[in-house]
Amino acid sequence: MDFDWTEEQRDFRATVRAFLDDNLPPDWEALAHGPGSAVQTTFSKQFCGALAQAGLLVPHWPARWGGRDADPWASFILAEEMWAAGEPRGGQYMNVNWIGPTLMRFGSEEQQARYIPPMAQGQTLWCQGFSEPEAGSDLASLRTRAELHGEVYRINGQKIWTSYAGHADTCFLLARTSPGKSGISIFLLPMDTPGITVRQIPSIIGEGDIHEVFFDDAEVPPTAMLGEEGQAWTIVREALSLERVGIPRFALASRMLHRAVALLKREGRFNHGAIDQAARAHAACEAARLGSYHIIDQRCHGQIPGPEASAARFGTVNAERLVAEFVVEHVPEALAGGDAMLQAHHQRAIVAGIASGAAEIQLNLIATELLELPREPR
Amino acid sequence: MDFTLTPDQAAVVDAIERLGRQFESKPTEFDGFALESRELEEELENGGYFDIASIPEMGPVTAALAVERLARSPYTVEVALSMLLRPHLDMDIPRPLALVENGRPGRFVDRAKTLIVIDGEEVGIAHPDPADVEAVESLYAYPMGRVKGALSVQPLPAEQADQVRTWIRVACAAEIAGLMQAAIDATVEHLTVRKQFGRALGTFQALRHRMAECAVLAGGVRRLALKAAWSGDPGEAALAAFHAQDSAGKVNYDVHQMTGAMGMTLEMPLHLWTYRMKALLSELGGRSGQAAEVARYCFD
Repeated sequence: MDFDWTEEQRDFRATVRAFLDDNLPPDWEALAHGPGSAVQTTFSKQFCGALAQAGLLVPHWPARWGGRDADPWASFILAEEMWAAGEPRGGQYMNVNWIGPTLMRFGSEEQQARYIPPMAQGQTLWCQGFSEPEAGSDLASLRTRAELHGEVYRINGQKIWTSYAGHADTCFLLARTSPGKSGISIFLLPMDTPGITVRQIPSIIGEGDIHEVFFDDAEVPPTAMLGEEGQAWTIVREALSLERVGIPRFALASRMLHRAVALLKREGRFNHGAIDQAARAHAACEAARLGSYHIIDQRCHGQIPGPEASAARFGTVNAERLVAEFVVEHVPEALAGGDAMLQAHHQRAIVAGIASGAAEIQLNLIATELLELPREPR
Repeated sequence: MDFTLTPDQAAVVDAIERLGRQFESKPTEFDGFALESRELEEELENGGYFDIASIPEMGPVTAALAVERLARSPYTVEVALSMLLRPHLDMDIPRPLALVENGRPGRFVDRAKTLIVIDGEEVGIAHPDPADVEAVESLYAYPMGRVKGALSVQPLPAEQADQVRTWIRVACAAEIAGLMQAAIDATVEHLTVRKQFGRALGTFQALRHRMAECAVLAGGVRRLALKAAWSGDPGEAALAAFHAQDSAGKVNYDVHQMTGAMGMTLEMPLHLWTYRMKALLSELGGRSGQAAEVARYCFD
């Protein structure tokens, strides 16, 4: 059991940090507000292009697709540093973490050739068409339909809470092709397809983050289907397992906690109450960090992460909440024009328990699969 | 970063696991607070387990794994300070060890051959005569004792005193990690077997979520304890002890709430773990004491 980084891992982290130092503009912290905004989307294409040029966008991808077959630690170190810096990749982190790898596993040759190279070059943004007004945590009850009419699937329905949809090039869409849980299929749908309407939902999360997406007779050829008809559940389970610990939210939370404490210390306000709360938040961040490292370690050893991934995710939700509460209580001016990055963190932290699946679903998984408590009656 | 045990570490962990299984059931006739086992202590002594932290192939992280596993037994033996603190004192001291903080009663004080005496900022070592100490009745599920009068205490230099505090914190965190896991396991068993409203209690979401949150805390406590044992870093030790003591309060409340009156009986062994955790809540100043050290080392 060794908690130390290898020399190679240390060098890689240093390389990523140096890249961030050289490529983030002086006004980056103001820009980081609103990861789905037009300004950040434009910036992220430039930034991800530069990352790709430096070989730092997809190091963990196979060489065939522009990577260098690095182990899961490389992608996680990269993700930690990016997220801690405010995620300058914007919504493209999804391409790197799970959309690209999912296409490599399940996509046709045509789909791979069409979609993977732009991801590896940092030039494309995707959105995730999962949630619907009547299908949030209960994703299997989704109603958006894809019906075969002659040579095309005709898509009708509505998605909601869709991040990055306003500027996305392609949607990873779940739609019903027949009744029941096994009747859901995945379509790779260009967002400029006629019949798609996107409406931004103003939110406290930030500009351009969540949207409604309407599909009115949007037509796609059968070649737009990912995998087999009805295979969505299998594919999504695998994709979400990559997503679940894919975002090292604790990295930004930890950095913002240290920033808030430094500010309090400078002003002589780091008193006993604040010290106790800061210790609690720091412990939660570090516990979440080690929980996530445990999952990455399992992946490196060829193991499929089990319910520990849900525990790691819930630990991260705890960390986000405790840091956000600490800042609001002890540095309230941060949310009133005092510190753009602390505010940006707050806006991301409040969705930590909701985005990529409600935290309560993770608690159910932990109860059943980790603690082996009897299941709830259906 | 590699969480896989080396073959040497795995061999020790397997041996401790086998030993732990021999002592995993509370005797049905026992209905007290401090369940001890001289037999377990002899097994550990004869196997040389108290010295594993000093063996380069094992190190303190292996000792922390052993402390965590042994703390899950309903039987208690003075293990944590012997395995994790004693190897770092650079002096040959006899065990059992016990901690006396500011004159308060402490666990194993009545039979300790070495006392770690903490008085404010001062840390010292004493070797009491049997007449210097006495047993006290307690709810804490450890054999508790206190010092009766003045002791001859050998003060430690400041640097060594800091070292002692660091390893007491690691020992505290590792022990709480095991106690917490055992308390959770016992509660899960109760929730699986006990039925109300025609269903096992463990099928009710209100309880499932609370237990899942306890499991998340327990996993964090364990990992922070192991990391601190691996590094010996004072900030990481303080953080591990803080998280352990902080989480123990919530877990203790939840497991007793969920086991209801059954958890209040001395028949169910739950109190052996929860009241040991309570004994550890106040060590080295409790949460506030650890938080001050976290602030000192982690937020400079």
